[in-house]
Amino acid sequence: MPNAHKTMPEPDPAIRVRALESLLIEKGLIDPKAIDALVDTYEHKVGPRNGARVMARAWTDPAYKQRLLDDATSAIKEFGFSGLQGEDMVVVENTPEVHNLVVCTLCSCYPWPTLGLPPVWYKSAPYRARAVSDPRGVLDEFGVELPETTEIRVWDTTAELRYLVLPERPAGTEGLSEAQLEALVTRDSMIGVGQPKKSMQS
Amino acid sequence: MLLTAELVPAITSAGASARVAAHVAPRFRVGDAVLIRNWQPTTHTRLPGYIRGKKGIVEKDYGVFAFPDTHAHGKGEKPQHCYSVRFTARELWGEQASDRDSLRVDVFDDYMDPR
Amino acid sequence: MNGIHDLGGRHGLGPINPEPNEPVFHAPWEGRAFGLFAATFVFAGYTVDEFRHAIENMDPAHYLESSYYEHWMSAFENLLTKRGIVTREELDAKVAALSKEPN
Repeated sequence: MPNAHKTMPEPDPAIRVRALESLLIEKGLIDPKAIDALVDTYEHKVGPRNGARVMARAWTDPAYKQRLLDDATSAIKEFGFSGLQGEDMVVVENTPEVHNLVVCTLCSCYPWPTLGLPPVWYKSAPYRARAVSDPRGVLDEFGVELPETTEIRVWDTTAELRYLVLPERPAGTEGLSEAQLEALVTRDSMIGVGQPKKSMQS
Repeated sequence: MLLTAELVPAITSAGASARVAAHVAPRFRVGDAVLIRNWQPTTHTRLPGYIRGKKGIVEKDYGVFAFPDTHAHGKGEKPQHCYSVRFTARELWGEQASDRDSLRVDVFDDYMDPR
Repeated sequence: MNGIHDLGGRHGLGPINPEPNEPVFHAPWEGRAFGLFAATFVFAGYTVDEFRHAIENMDPAHYLESSYYEHWMSAFENLLTKRGIVTREELDAKVAALSKEPN
């Protein structure tokens, strides 16, 4: 039996965290204000609006789009987005023929600087198991319908590259500004489990 | 080192890339046909079971990175090339799978052999 | 290792059930657990790979039944006790003391 020493049920996670944090503070090993700052950063400062800006720029500026596809890390850094869990980026483009879907079957790897922290479903067993073997069923569950002729390309984030999907620009958006286009780019469309919004009204 | 609040912005924006600036020869080139090794360690690996023994094509060489299998166990970085390898859905999931869909998995040099 | 975490292609794990508009952290403790990664990483000397492997070594049933940041807590306790930075006795004593506090 694995973990035979684990005879007691585990304590409430909130208490477990407080226990470890307070012990480490008592030992002078951590500063709780650093944890405050990290929580603040990922709750309020880093999130999918970053990725949306990158995608809206790619939709409006063909030269930027090419830089994004050739060297995503540098192109994303042009916006000042970089760092933890986004050090080595790859952007893959949706076309009428190809729909991309990103997963980390082994854990929860996700591009934090452009999307923030991953949602629970992305980190959980059902998505991690089925994205690679039944992508069409997964897309169905998310309400995404694709033509039978579309190739679905699934990217399993097994190493330290982090992937982002460049969704197709919705039809009829020619007149929109970059800021208006940003509002159409959803987090789910940059993972591949959604499409961008079609208009400001939706 | 004590992580303070003041250091957090620098740490989060710099990150910690796993790339290694070492000159290591790649064993594979783009377009090569590969067979994933039957590598089944009881220790850490980033080789998912579902590609073991399967046939793929090298699509991209991402360059040289630290090797997780050794790096997880204090056995050094063993820097090597990491590739994007393409597998067809049918190769991995059988004849009932789509004949059009495909997968890309990031595979280290040590996980593959030429075929 | 051929652990429970190696989930690609498995059947029978159920629907994905995405939560609409979910918060970044579902409770304050999750945020603290998240912050503990960077705070301990800078002094404890483990690699991200070792951290992942600590999670892979969780009891398989517990891995599937517990929440994501509980996985991180298992890893921290595993790595920090292994390095003698905290002891299991210290953790248990602190948990016992905190459990007695009215909340």
